[in-house]
Amino acid sequence: DSWGIFTFLCAALCNLPALPALNCSEELGAGQSIQQTYDLTRYLEHQLRTLAGTYLNYLGPPFNEPDFNPPRLARAERVPSATVDLDLWRGLTDNARLAANYRAYSRLLCYLRVLDGQVGTAELRHRLAHFCASLQGLVLSIGGVMSSLGYPLPAGPAGPPAPPGAPAAPNDFLKKMDDFWLLKELQTWLWRSAKDFNRLKKKVPPAVVTLRLEARGF
Amino acid sequence: ESHIQYERVGADVTMKCGSMDWDAAVTWTANGTDINESRLNGSYLILKNVDLSQSGQYSCYEGSSWHLKYQTYLRVGTPPTEPVLMCRSNNYPKGFYCSWHLPTPTYIPNSFNISVIHGTKDMVCEKDAIPKNRCHIRYLQLFSTVKYKVTLTVTNALGKNFTTLTFDEFAIVKPDPPESVMAKPVPNNPRRLEVSWQNPSSWPDPESFPLKFFLRYRPLILDQWQHVELSDGTSHTITDAYAGKEYIIQVAAKDNDIGTWSDWSVAVHATPWTEEPKHLTTEAQITETTSASTSSFMAPPTTKICDKGAVVGSGAMAVCWTAGLVMAAYSVLFI
Repeated sequence: DSWGIFTFLCAALCNLPALPALNCSEELGAGQSIQQTYDLTRYLEHQLRTLAGTYLNYLGPPFNEPDFNPPRLARAERVPSATVDLDLWRGLTDNARLAANYRAYSRLLCYLRVLDGQVGTAELRHRLAHFCASLQGLVLSIGGVMSSLGYPLPAGPAGPPAPPGAPAAPNDFLKKMDDFWLLKELQTWLWRSAKDFNRLKKKVPPAVVTLRLEARGF
Repeated sequence: ESHIQYERVGADVTMKCGSMDWDAAVTWTANGTDINESRLNGSYLILKNVDLSQSGQYSCYEGSSWHLKYQTYLRVGTPPTEPVLMCRSNNYPKGFYCSWHLPTPTYIPNSFNISVIHGTKDMVCEKDAIPKNRCHIRYLQLFSTVKYKVTLTVTNALGKNFTTLTFDEFAIVKPDPPESVMAKPVPNNPRRLEVSWQNPSSWPDPESFPLKFFLRYRPLILDQWQHVELSDGTSHTITDAYAGKEYIIQVAAKDNDIGTWSDWSVAVHATPWTEEPKHLTTEAQITETTSASTSSFMAPPTTKICDKGAVVGSGAMAVCWTAGLVMAAYSVLFI
């Protein structure tokens, strides 16, 4: 049993007076956080199904029709897309993979917050607020994984409530289209993230143990 | 000259004898058999309300010379009804396949044309050699928000029909059932069965796209299934089997996150381990064995003395010992 051996070694090393005292705390690092982030994406995907159903009904037809398949307008390109070339997706480095997720959810969160301020019914506002809070949790979780693996966090619109330079929709219908695509991209991103984190799970060992060296009196 | 003619079931067919005049004397045959003149209108052959049995080769001969003037192959059929189309991704993320069939036969040759549109892009669905009514597509992009629209058009000489399917990339993911399902009893465990299986071979990347599994089992004598969902691993030990009862076991697979469950795998049968009945090694059996062996063995009188519990000196003791060993050996053989 490797843990047993490791704790023994730790204890042995700790008792050696000549060495600086090692604080042998086993921190469950990246591996555990990846699992938690994966679980969060599944939870959010589940939440989104209910939220999207309610919101699309609020938008009314044709947005709430299951066969609704509009062409993607140029203005919809503002929302970060999960769509990616198959080989490119496979070849992403861990850093690039995590960064893409981080950037996408940060921006999607921004857009959702804007939405929150505009919707009519109290029920929708409540649901959106809850979802935004969970989504914020996901962004933080991804950030946590990146930090524990030593990757820098991508600079991005984590702060401002409205993305700068975003043209307001010229009419009500186009505004609803924007909302439709936002929810669609969000849904697709959550499906993609499950696969992204599956891949990451396999590449990072289940528990990365970190030793914190504390030099005492040296 | 000869050609093929397609007509609808129930239609009225008029066949002209080539370039012959209406009032020419001709004889018509259907598959070599002469046709009654009552069917003729001059030199035209009239077939009213044709049915499938009237398909065949129709020939027209000039009256006196028996010169073949015209020949046609009549094929009676129907225009196509709406085809049934199904698309599925059993090899995600590589791509998907579509397969189709006609719910009712047309009795004449049909041609199928399939088109796949993804947003604004036309994609080519490559037809499979086997099975015939199937084609496959490779994904160029993954995690697409734009739906795929597949249109199947079926055409024959009497008409055409079509059907359309629109779906998201994720909605059609359905793996093939797990393969090599095996179930074995566990020695010395009368309530256990060890089940193992493999990922379907069509699933290309179980590392990045892991599958989860659903196991169902029941004893043959009961109707109600028991279910277990397993999020990883390709084996499971059933620990609540009814002792001694034959079980039927099946497994299904699903992508961990998207799509639907596969069909159930081929069923396997297994019975848990049962202990050998103990009564074969009781005292009664041993006495039986010994008396049988003594009678057939023609053992020396001292053996009998041993059986009866009598011990006569050390020599007899030795014989007793060997006799005892023989009894033991025979008992072992009889277990």
